Amino acid sequence: MSAASIPIRRTLMTALLLTSGVVMLITSSAFCAYDFLTYRQQTLHNLATLGDAIAANSTAALAFQNPDDAREVLSALRAESHIVDATLYTSDGTPFASYPATRPAAQVATPPPDGYRFEGGYLIGVQPVVQGQRRMGSLYLKADLDAVYQRLRSFLLIAALVMVLTCAAAYLLATRLQRQISQPILALARSVADVSSRQDYTLQVPRPAGHELGLLADSFNNLLVQVEAARSRLQSQLGRLDLLHRITRAIGERQDLPSIFQVLLGYLEAELPIDFGCIALYDPADAQAVHIVTIGTRSQTLAHRLGIDQQLRVPIDQNGLARCVAGELVYEPDVGEVDFPFPQRFFRAGILSLVLAPLLVQKRVFGVLVVGRPAAEGFNSTDCEFLRHLSEHVALATHQTQLYGALQQAYDDVRQSQQAILQQERLRALGQMASGIAHDINNAISPIALYTESLLEREPGLSDRTRTCLVTIQRAIEDVAETVSRMREFYRVRAPEMNLTRVSLNRLIEQVVELTRARWSDLPMQKGVVITLQPNLASDLPDIMGSETEIRDALTNLVFNAVDAMPEGGILVLRTRHEHLDPGPQAENTPAVHVEVADTGVGMDEETRRRCLEPFYTTKGERGTGLGLAMVYGMIQRHSADLNIDSAVGQGTTVRLSFIPAQTTLLTVQHTPAGQATQHLRLLLVDDDPLLLKSVKEVLDADGHIVVAADGGQNGIDAFQTAHRSGHPFSLVITDLGMPYVDGRKVAAAVKLESPQTPVVLLTGWGRRLIAENETPPHVDRILSKPPKLAALRAALAELTAVTASAAPIPREQTS
Amino acid sequence: MAPLKRGWAWSVALCMLLSVSPPVRAAVAPAEYRVKAVFLFNFAQFVDWPPDAFMDPGQPFVIGILGKDPFGTELDAVVHGETVSQRSLVIERYYNVAELHNCHILYIARSEIGHLPQILTALKGRSVLTVSDADGDDQSGVMIRLVNRSNRVRLQIDVGAAKAGHLTISSKLLRPAEIVGGPEG
Repeated sequence: MSAASIPIRRTLMTALLLTSGVVMLITSSAFCAYDFLTYRQQTLHNLATLGDAIAANSTAALAFQNPDDAREVLSALRAESHIVDATLYTSDGTPFASYPATRPAAQVATPPPDGYRFEGGYLIGVQPVVQGQRRMGSLYLKADLDAVYQRLRSFLLIAALVMVLTCAAAYLLATRLQRQISQPILALARSVADVSSRQDYTLQVPRPAGHELGLLADSFNNLLVQVEAARSRLQSQLGRLDLLHRITRAIGERQDLPSIFQVLLGYLEAELPIDFGCIALYDPADAQAVHIVTIGTRSQTLAHRLGIDQQLRVPIDQNGLARCVAGELVYEPDVGEVDFPFPQRFFRAGILSLVLAPLLVQKRVFGVLVVGRPAAEGFNSTDCEFLRHLSEHVALATHQTQLYGALQQAYDDVRQSQQAILQQERLRALGQMASGIAHDINNAISPIALYTESLLEREPGLSDRTRTCLVTIQRAIEDVAETVSRMREFYRVRAPEMNLTRVSLNRLIEQVVELTRARWSDLPMQKGVVITLQPNLASDLPDIMGSETEIRDALTNLVFNAVDAMPEGGILVLRTRHEHLDPGPQAENTPAVHVEVADTGVGMDEETRRRCLEPFYTTKGERGTGLGLAMVYGMIQRHSADLNIDSAVGQGTTVRLSFIPAQTTLLTVQHTPAGQATQHLRLLLVDDDPLLLKSVKEVLDADGHIVVAADGGQNGIDAFQTAHRSGHPFSLVITDLGMPYVDGRKVAAAVKLESPQTPVVLLTGWGRRLIAENETPPHVDRILSKPPKLAALRAALAELTAVTASAAPIPREQTS
Repeated sequence: MAPLKRGWAWSVALCMLLSVSPPVRAAVAPAEYRVKAVFLFNFAQFVDWPPDAFMDPGQPFVIGILGKDPFGTELDAVVHGETVSQRSLVIERYYNVAELHNCHILYIARSEIGHLPQILTALKGRSVLTVSDADGDDQSGVMIRLVNRSNRVRLQIDVGAAKAGHLTISSKLLRPAEIVGGPEG
C-alpha cells in the first residue's frame, strides 16, 4: 500500500466515524436531555400526583384536627423513598403533621407558596389541601432528585456504551464500506500511476462498480486510448521520419545510381516494409516506356514470378505509369480492378496494392519507384505521404549524384589539363635551357667536327688506326650534336626536320655494344659484378626507316637501364627479330621488326611499369634524370613504332621496340659529290667565337675560297661595307646568329642593305630550332646548323653562288 | 452549622407556640366549641345530601342548633361569609325539634339529649345530619358524636344512621373517625 493511499482511507474513515460519532453524540445527548427533563417532569408530576393524593387524604385530618391521622396519611410516603420531607400545614400556616414522623414537626415553619419547583437539588412542592372549595391547609413535600440523577447517570452510561458500540460498529462498517469507495479510487490511482510511470498507454484501468467511478475509469480509459493512439501515431511518424532520415543519409553517402537505388530498396523492404520494390528509369527521349533498372534484393524471387527483370522495358499505357511519369504519385489499392498489362502482372503474382512514386528533379520525371504489398488496400495515406517525401529525397540525391559526377568529370578534366600544361611548361623550360646548352655545345664542337671531316677528307697518309679513330670521333660528334638537339625536342611528336634514313638495326646494336661497353663491362667489373651480354641478332633483318642517332641513343639508354637493374650482375640480351607477316595491304605498315633489350634484373612493379615512360619519373634517385625512357618513348612516337615492356618484380625486364620495315625498293641517298668543282669564292665569315672562326676559315680556305674572318657582328658589317665599296665585294656572307651587340640578323640586314644580291648564310647553334619552327629570319638565304658539316656547307655555297653567279661572278682563284 | 441552624429554628418555633398557646388554653370551653364549630362547618364539606334535601337552588344551607347553644358566637364566626356548594350558610337555633323543617346539619345540644329518641324519631326519614357532643353511652341514632379523647375532639360516626338519613358520608371523614353502630339503620 503506498503512502498516498493512506489519506483517502483515513479521510473516509474519519468522515464516517466522525459523522456517526457526532450523530450518536447528538442523539444520545438529546435523548439523555430529553429523558432527564421528561423524567424530572415525570418526577414532578408524580410528586404532584402524590401530593394530590396525600392532600386529598389529609383533608379530613386537617378539618377535624387529627394529627395522628395526618401522620398516618403522611406515613404512606414511606413507599416513596425519595421524599425526604413532608409537612402538613393548617390553613393558617401552622405545621400540623410531618414526615418522617420521627422528626420534629416543623422543619419549615411556614409553608412556601403553592407550586412545585426544583430548588438546590431537591424538588419542592407545596400542594394546597382543599376539601370542596375550601382550603384546609397546605402540604409541603420535599423530594430528592437522586433517582433522576441516577437515571441520568444510567442513561449517560448507556449512551456512552452505545456510543462505544456504535463507533465500533461504525468503524467496522466504515472499514468495509470505505473500501467500496477507496478501493476503486486507489485501484484507479494505482493504474494511473502505473500508466504514467511505465509510460505504457496500452494499459487499461479496471472498471470499478460505482457509476461515477466507472464513468471516471471509462473516461480515463478513453483518454488512454486516445493518448495511445496519438502516441503510436507520433511513434510511427517518428519511425517514418527516422527511416526517411536514415535512407536519406545512406543515399547521401553513395555516389552512384545503382548503389543508391539498391540501398533505398533495401531499406524499404526491411523497414517500411514492402514485399516488392523496384525502380524504373524514364527517359523523355523514349516517352513510351520505362526501363526497370534496379530490383530490391528481397524482391528478386517475386520479380522472377512477376516476369520482371532488370532492363525490362515496360510500356506506358493508360495505366498508372502514365500518370506517374506526369509527376503524380499513383496508388492502386487493388490492381485486380485495373485492366492493364502492367498491373495485371502484379495481380497474377499476388501483389494487390501498388504505389508508383515519381522521381522528380526540377519538375522532370526521370524515374519511378514501384512498391507493392500483397494485401489490397495495403498502403495508407501515411505510407503514401512517406513514399512521396522519400521519392523527393531520392530524386534530389540522384540529381546531386549526377551533378557530383559531372563536377568530378569537370574537375578531372581541369586537373588533367593543368597537369598537361604543367608538364608542357616544365618541358618548355627544359627545352629553353637545353637550347642554351645545345648552342654552346654546338659552338664548342664545331671545330672538332670541321677538322675531323677535313682531316678525313684531305689529310693524306693517315694510318688506318687514325682513320678509324677519326671516324669514331666524327660519329661521336654527330651523336653529340643530335643529342643536344633532341634534348629540347624529345617531347615533340615528330620533329619536322628529322631525316629518315635506312637504318640497319643489327649494325646499330653492334655500335651500341661498343659505345656502352664501359657501362656494362668495365664499371661493374670494378665492383666484382659480372654482366654477360648476349647479342642475339636475326640474320634476315630488314632495314627500317628512321633516325640512326635517335635509335642508337634509345638503345644506349635501354642498355644503361638494364645494367642499372642488375646491380648483382646478370645476363643482358640484345635481340633482333623479324616477324614474317602475310603480305597484305596492311602488312607494310605493321611494326614487324623487333629489337629487344632484356635483362635478368630486379624488374618493375606495376606502378613503376605504368609510370616509367613519364618524363622525370625515376627510380634511381639523384643519379637519374627521369628522361631516359621518356626520350625512348619520344623516339618511338616519332618513328610510329611500338614500345612494349614486360616486367615483374624479380623477374627482370624486357623492352621491345617494334619498327615498321623499310620499303623493299631501296631509296638511295644522293650524295652530292664533294664541292671540288665549285668555283673559288670570296667569303666573309662573321663570328664571335675565335675557335670557330679559325676552323671554318681553315676548312673553307682548304677548299680554295678566299675567306675573310670578322670577329663580331659590327666588324663583319664594317668588313663587308669596306670590301663592297672598295670594289672587292664578297660573293657570300656566313654569319653566326647569336653574337653580342650585333647579332646575325643585323649583319644579314646590313649586308642586304648594302648588297641585296649577296647571299647570307646563317650558321647557328640554334639552327635546328629555327628550322623546326619554320622561322627563317628576313635577309637570310640559308640556315645551317652547328656543328657545320663540310658537305652541307659546300652544297649551300654551291647552290647560293650558282644563283648569284651571273650577277656577281668571282674570278676563280686556285689556291690549293 | 446546619444542625445548629435547625436547632435555632426549632427554638424560635417553640417560643412562638408557647407565646400563642396560653390564651387559647386559658379559655378551654370556648376553645373546645370553636373547634366543634369548625367541625360542624367542616361536616358540610364531607357529607353529601340528597338533592331533595333542598327545595330550590337558592335555598341556603342550614346548620341548626337544637337546645342550648354552647357555641356562643363561635359558630357564626366560623360560617361567616362561607358557602356550601354555592349555597349560603345559615345558622338556625331551635329549641324544639318541631321548629325545624328545613335543616341540614342539626347539632343536638347536651340539653336536649334527654329527648333524643323523640328528636330522632321526628327526624326519621329526613336527610338531616345529626351531631352531638353529649357524653353518655346511649346516644345511638346520632350520626356523628364529638367525643373528647385525651384533650382532643374525636369523631364517632354511626354510618348506619347516616345511611338511613340518605346521607353519604365521605370516606375521608371516616378515616379520622371512629365507626360506631352497625349496618342496621
